[in-house]
Amino acid sequence: MAQTLWTEKYRPRRVSEVVGNNEAKEKFIKWLKIWLSGKIPEKRGALFYGPPGCGKTTLVHAAAEEFNLEVIEMNASDVRTAKALNRIIKTSIKEKSLFGYRGKIVLLDEVDGINLREDIGALSAIESLLNETKVPVVLTANDPWDPKLKSLRGKCILIEFKPIPAYLQIRVLRKICEKEGVKVSDEVLKAIIKRNKGDLRACINDLQAIAQGKKVVTLEDIKLLGERSHQVSMFDMVRQVFFAKKCIDAKAVTLNPSFDYEMFIQYIHENLPYQYTTLEALAEAYDRLSKADMIMGRIKKTQNWSLLPYALELMTMGVSLIRSKPRLKFVKYSFPEKLKILSKSKEYREKLNAVLDTIRNKCHVSRSKANIEILPYIIVIYEANKEQGRKILKWLGISERTFREIIRMHAS
Amino acid sequence: MSTEDKLELWVEKYRPKRLDEMINQKEVVERLKKFVREKSLPHLLFAGPPGTGKTTAALCLARELYGENWRANVLELNASDERGIQVIRERVKDYARTVALGEVPFKLIILDEADNMTSDAQQALRRMMEMYSRTARFCLIANYPSKIIEPIQSRCAIFRFQPLKKEDVLARIKHICEQEGVKITEDGLEAIWEVSGGDLRRAINTLQAAAALGDVVDEQAVYKVVGKVSPKEIRELIKLALTGNFIKARGKLRELMAYYGLSGLDILKLIHREILNPRSELGLPEEAKVELVDLAGEINFRLVEGADEEIQLSAFLAKMALLGKKYL
Repeated sequence: MAQTLWTEKYRPRRVSEVVGNNEAKEKFIKWLKIWLSGKIPEKRGALFYGPPGCGKTTLVHAAAEEFNLEVIEMNASDVRTAKALNRIIKTSIKEKSLFGYRGKIVLLDEVDGINLREDIGALSAIESLLNETKVPVVLTANDPWDPKLKSLRGKCILIEFKPIPAYLQIRVLRKICEKEGVKVSDEVLKAIIKRNKGDLRACINDLQAIAQGKKVVTLEDIKLLGERSHQVSMFDMVRQVFFAKKCIDAKAVTLNPSFDYEMFIQYIHENLPYQYTTLEALAEAYDRLSKADMIMGRIKKTQNWSLLPYALELMTMGVSLIRSKPRLKFVKYSFPEKLKILSKSKEYREKLNAVLDTIRNKCHVSRSKANIEILPYIIVIYEANKEQGRKILKWLGISERTFREIIRMHAS
Repeated sequence: MSTEDKLELWVEKYRPKRLDEMINQKEVVERLKKFVREKSLPHLLFAGPPGTGKTTAALCLARELYGENWRANVLELNASDERGIQVIRERVKDYARTVALGEVPFKLIILDEADNMTSDAQQALRRMMEMYSRTARFCLIANYPSKIIEPIQSRCAIFRFQPLKKEDVLARIKHICEQEGVKITEDGLEAIWEVSGGDLRRAINTLQAAAALGDVVDEQAVYKVVGKVSPKEIRELIKLALTGNFIKARGKLRELMAYYGLSGLDILKLIHREILNPRSELGLPEEAKVELVDLAGEINFRLVEGADEEIQLSAFLAKMALLGKKYL
């Protein structure tokens, strides 16, 4: 008995027992009830998002228990190959309807933890699951705006979870203490809540760590708890770097378990000009970022990973600690625009490249030369003299429609 | 090829078919004709500025060596496109495995823009040249022979293509005008020479585009073409950066990469061209041009070394903004 985790032991068994996030609960139950009535809602998935420990997974389990559903759970951070996902998909699609059966609900936890390189196919497997599933599918994520989740976002209703307010948390903790028969002062409970910034699961874990088997807990006991490294969002990391006054504070973001340097450098790149508003600071910081990128390039070419620390330092403390640092204002950060544009223009660029390749083959040049030294001239000819232009296009084997699309994209 | 008489782009239509038709490059032509007569060939390295006839010479040589069947015996590769030596190796391996058709005992592999290969790739190329020397000859084409590693240079007969002379370029342009029934003025000819920078490909393309614009090709028509063919976004990009509008300049940069399909190096090259364009409307002081070229050189190096072209070019724009503050 002493071994069970309190987070499991005191897990809510009914939706009404889940604390906080009433709006999220309502929205979810409304959606779930469409399923329970035997119909299929417009969006077959629900994406729960919010910081850790605010009840996302708990709500799914509580609802499942209350409505007698079997939870098919898959944590994105264990096995998440497309194969494993496909097995789930098969069983969930076979299911006809929930009505009259003991139904199922699929829970895919931490989808933002999917690694694009290692879990090839996982995202598209989830996408097709969302298209075809005959049972409700819930996804959870901390950062729903992660670009890789873009295709999934459109297929889900989005349900936001906020950190649970302290007054609600303290109620939960008091109740646990009562049942466990330990005396813990409100002062101690408040200290636990404060250090966990709204993460109720972390609070319960901390409480168990210091209170289990004891009769009385004091403030002294809290000091025994190790620092829990928080899952920080990309924006928090960017802010921490820009506002750092010491190298060590800026570099600290790289120690974060969710730190992803390839993404991070894109976020810094995106937000630099909004945060550093003087040209001197901008140029100085960009020079550091450019050097960091150069090292990344060398690592890619030579696989010399011993260079990585220098790149990480240049993109964090290098950007932060500059001579001409201006006075910083609070800025609302943005997601990397570049990633959006690239995915938006992908289809068009493929067409353009196909056109360039036909020119390349006929005119004995590289793709780049075809783009700079030949294509623009054909466009001038076509626009001035359609008849001659069409002859050239025909000779090259380029459809006029594609060609006009290129002209249109250039103009926009 | 029966389709060849229907060539619609003048650069291709008037590309010489035989070595004798090539303008200038007399010494090169003489030496190549000797190889044709003897049906024997060393590995070749053609070096010289763009638009001086290197690729044309290689194609003429192939035609004269193999006759009608030349396409079956020639593999054309472009080092800028064939990503990585691995791809080149595979294609050459497949190709050089079989024996040449006809009386010439080897096939010809034309590798254009060879100076864009890294030195590692060139080392691999060197080994390939040895491995397949019984069945294939390589014709490497480069702008800068010094960018080709010495062991390759020493295995090749080097041909230096001279920059084309003004009278040669203009004679060719006049010839095309006669054939196509295009009227061209004296100042039109002068303007074509000026914008071509000695590159005959660019001269002919400019002529064809200018001829499409109106009845007479004059100075005005030529400069109209020039204004149209280099993306106006490049000028806007430079202007925005120099006036400190970094965020907008970066937006333009993104458009150029996404919708014009330009690589980072392409954009840098176009910026470089615009900075040094004597007719540029940017009105840059001469000292500023020098500093910008210095910056562009540094960024070119970083682009090649780095991983993310947009970050490198953004760093360039940020420095341009600083420079603009100093000079404008």
